[in-house]
Amino acid sequence: MTRRIAQILGRGGELNPRNMRLGIWAWLIQRISGLALVVFVVAHVVAISQANFALSGPLFTMLDGLRNPFWSVDRTVLAIDLIMLGIIAFHGMNGIRIVLFDMGIGVGLRSHKAIFWILAVIGIIVSGLVIFYGLPLVGGI
Amino acid sequence: MMQLARPSPTNTWLWLFQRITAVLLVVVLGVHLWLANFGQAAASLRAMLGVVLLGLALFHGLNGVRTVLLDLDIGTQGRKFVTMILLLVGVASLLFGIHGLWPLIVGG
Repeated sequence: MTRRIAQILGRGGELNPRNMRLGIWAWLIQRISGLALVVFVVAHVVAISQANFALSGPLFTMLDGLRNPFWSVDRTVLAIDLIMLGIIAFHGMNGIRIVLFDMGIGVGLRSHKAIFWILAVIGIIVSGLVIFYGLPLVGGI
Repeated sequence: MMQLARPSPTNTWLWLFQRITAVLLVVVLGVHLWLANFGQAAASLRAMLGVVLLGLALFHGLNGVRTVLLDLDIGTQGRKFVTMILLLVGVASLLFGIHGLWPLIVGG
């Protein structure tokens, strides 16, 4: 396995940053963001469960802050949520690109790159709308 | 090229479900974010949305983890082990999540 990783990352390897182009970056970030989102979903569900059952203690106070992300006054929690929003937007929009590709829509290189950037812009706009209209609801921010 | 998981009926179905849940997640997650920020909805609707979102996210997430692990060439035994463990994690997490949503479900 070490040999395999060295082979992938080494000179001429497909995950050597020098050889990576847009598509392989998208593939890699899709994987990493997906794994991050699995961790986030688990944390999110645990947080909501604790809040619902009104358990107390420092851990639960912290988790309680995660209960309703955009109403939370805890800046750290808010920062995590904003980062997660960005990750969700990327993963979702790039995921749509993959589904379109699998359906045979926009398979040509030019139209495919265009779809990537159009979806990226949609993701940024939707995230911006959530932040613009969601943030004023956060206490004092 | 990366070594891909061997084509099999199971992997083909999982591939298809991964796409279907992907599209559904974009829609349901949009509704979830909307409700979390601006929306008003009956508890019963939020409970139903919660359970649906939980199921979709767990399947999509854990099946994604399975894809990543299977790309590491872990052998037939490893593949079976990973699949069984992730299935158990999924069922346990679903039950735990429904437990967390319970006040909303019975409160509706």
